Amino acid sequence: MSIAGDLIRGHTDAIILARLLQSDSYGYEINKTISLLSGGQFELKEATLYTAFKRLEEQGLIASYWGDSGVGARRRYYTITPEGRYACYRLLQEWQETKCIMDSLLTQGGKL
Amino acid sequence: MREQLIQYVNLLFAGSPGTYEMQQEILQNTLDRYDDLLSQGKTPEAAYRLAIGGIGDINEVLGSIPVSPDPRPTAERPTTPTPVPAVKNNRKWMQALAIGLYICCVIPVLIFENVGTGMLGVCLMFVMIAAATVLLILSPAEKEEQTEKESDDMPKTKLGRTLKRIWGLVTLGIYLSISFKTGAWHITWLVFPIMGAVNGIIRAAMDLKEAK
Repeated sequence: MSIAGDLIRGHTDAIILARLLQSDSYGYEINKTISLLSGGQFELKEATLYTAFKRLEEQGLIASYWGDSGVGARRRYYTITPEGRYACYRLLQEWQETKCIMDSLLTQGGKL
Repeated sequence: MREQLIQYVNLLFAGSPGTYEMQQEILQNTLDRYDDLLSQGKTPEAAYRLAIGGIGDINEVLGSIPVSPDPRPTAERPTTPTPVPAVKNNRKWMQALAIGLYICCVIPVLIFENVGTGMLGVCLMFVMIAAATVLLILSPAEKEEQTEKESDDMPKTKLGRTLKRIWGLVTLGIYLSISFKTGAWHITWLVFPIMGAVNGIIRAAMDLKEAK
C-alpha cells in the first residue's frame, strides 16, 4: 500500500469532497466509508483527515457545524458548499484526464 | 482501555495550548474508531493499538495552526507600550518627591538648631538627602529619551559639565570664605551638602522642564 497510498493521498481533497457530495458527515464516518469503498486497502490518518478538513474549510469548499448524536459524543459535521461542489466536479474531471493520460503513457493504448 | 485512549490523545495535545477543538475532534474520531473495532470483535488492547495507529503524525496538524498562536505576540505588542506612560508618571513623581525632600532637608536643621540639639537636625537632613538621592537613582531611567537628549543637547550637556565644575569651585569658595570669616569650622562643612542639594534641585527641575 506504500506507493499507491502516496498516490491516493495526493487526492485527499477530492476524496473528501466526493464523500461530502453524497451527504454531510463527520470524521470517522468519512474515513470508514473510504476504507470500505477501497476494500479496506486505503484509509486516512486522523491527522491527515483533520488537516484536510481545515484546509478545505479555509478555502470555503466545505463548512462545519457541531452535531449532537444524543449519546454524549459531540461530533463536528462537515457539509459541502456550492464552491466545494464546483471544485469537486473540476477535480473529478482533472482526474479523468489524468487517468486517460496515464493509461496512454503506461499501456500504449490499453495493452501492456 | 477507553480511558487510557482518552488520556493518550490528551497527552498528544498537552504541549499545544489553543488546540481544544482540534483535540476534541480527533479524540472523538479516535474513540469512534476504537468503539467500531471493538464491535468488530477486536480485543480492547488490539483496538487501542489500532486506534492510536490511526491518529498518525499529530505534528502534521499542529504545524498547520501556528496561525492562532502567531497573532498573539502582535496582539500583546500594543499592550507593552501602555506601561511606559505609567513608568513615566512614576518617574516624575519620584523626582518630584526627591526635589521636595531636597528642599525641605534644611528644615530639621533650622528647627533643631533653635531647640539646641543641632546634631539631630543634621542627622535628619542627611536622612532626607539620602532618601531623595535614593529616589532619584531608583527612578526608572528612560533610555530612549536619554539618548535623544544626549544627541540633541550636546552643547547643553557640555555647558552642564562646565557649570558643574564651576559649581564645585564656588561651593569650595563659599565654604572657605564663610569658614575663615566665622571660624565656625565645626558647622561650615554643611555648605557642601547644602550646595549639593541645591545642585540636585536645579538639575531635577531642569529635567522635569525638559520632560514636559
